[in-house]
Amino acid sequence: MTGDEAKAQAAFQDTVRRAAGGAGEGEPVHDRLWFFREARWRCLAVSEQGLQAETVEMEEAEISAGAPAQVARLEPLQLAIWIAGAPEPQRSALAFYYLDEFNYRELMSLLEMKIGELSDQIARARGEFQAWLDGHLPEST
Amino acid sequence: MRTAVFRARKQRKTAEGFARQQAFDVAIADLVRGIAVPPETAEWFVNEKLVATGKRRGWRRTVRHPAVVAVALAVAVIIGIGVHIFMERLEDFPGSVEAKKLLATASGTRISQLESVKADAGEMSDLFFMKYRLEHYNVPPEFARFRVLGWRVFLGDDGDQIAQIEVGERRMQFFLFPAAASPEGKTAEFVGWRYLEQEGWVGAVQQRNGVNFLACLRGRKRDLAAYIAKGPDGTAVRVGR
Repeated sequence: MTGDEAKAQAAFQDTVRRAAGGAGEGEPVHDRLWFFREARWRCLAVSEQGLQAETVEMEEAEISAGAPAQVARLEPLQLAIWIAGAPEPQRSALAFYYLDEFNYRELMSLLEMKIGELSDQIARARGEFQAWLDGHLPEST
Repeated sequence: MRTAVFRARKQRKTAEGFARQQAFDVAIADLVRGIAVPPETAEWFVNEKLVATGKRRGWRRTVRHPAVVAVALAVAVIIGIGVHIFMERLEDFPGSVEAKKLLATASGTRISQLESVKADAGEMSDLFFMKYRLEHYNVPPEFARFRVLGWRVFLGDDGDQIAQIEVGERRMQFFLFPAAASPEGKTAEFVGWRYLEQEGWVGAVQQRNGVNFLACLRGRKRDLAAYIAKGPDGTAVRVGR
């Protein structure tokens, strides 16, 4: 979400600290989505500081049959870096979608998006990521 | 969404694309699952119980929440104001608006503003008729025997002539003024006495022959009601609301 482990760690700890403070005062969080929503806004606030990535128009490619094999050759960090470089709100949509923790209703609530917008963001990201995979880890290699 | 998935599975080309997309998503999700959680981050979840697992906030706790209390108070105040306005409307009667203005006039009147005369209140109707041609400006028998300290006739906001009398009995003041007439020329009428209160003053209004009589004093309703209930000779008098 931030492209910087230290910043992400700080955002996460601030979120948990706030929840712990509430629990200490007898007001625990009842909604697990609260953590993700809170952490997302903290990450966005943190990532707005400092150098900003330039917005680049990325190519898209059709999902290939060999995509799972290409993905299997990736390091998790490479995926994390790719997602961190995506513009908002695509970045948040990808992060939450691929956490595989939420249904569509929860995703829409977390991201404050309509279903059409959400599916557009994910579909475009798939195509862009496939194009990136084809450029960096071609199927023939 | 179910329909879209069903259609995607039915058409061969679309089904193929959909299957690829699913396999792509599963592969990415697997990769994400492989991202190691830093030990210091994992520690937070082991030591802290942050999501409430028990029952949600009960209604008793909800009711005691400051926000709920504030909203309830605000609603109660609004309802109270509504009831107050409704009750005031219930107490309205023809001439009550003018009578309230005259209560304010009574509270601001000094004896020096009035002409002195040696007479009983009941005898003032002759003076009003002879000097100002004011017909039916009669003081009711309940108040007729009180000694007058001063009097005057002045023009009201509507240009009507209003007679004002101050008597020695409890520094009571009387006002006689025309009853409001409808566009057709009929005066709105009511029977008996109607009370009104304003800023420590209480008044009682009676209407006869198109003229309103207002008796008022500084005090409470019961102070004035004592004169009306007894009547001039101790007999009971019909009293309105």
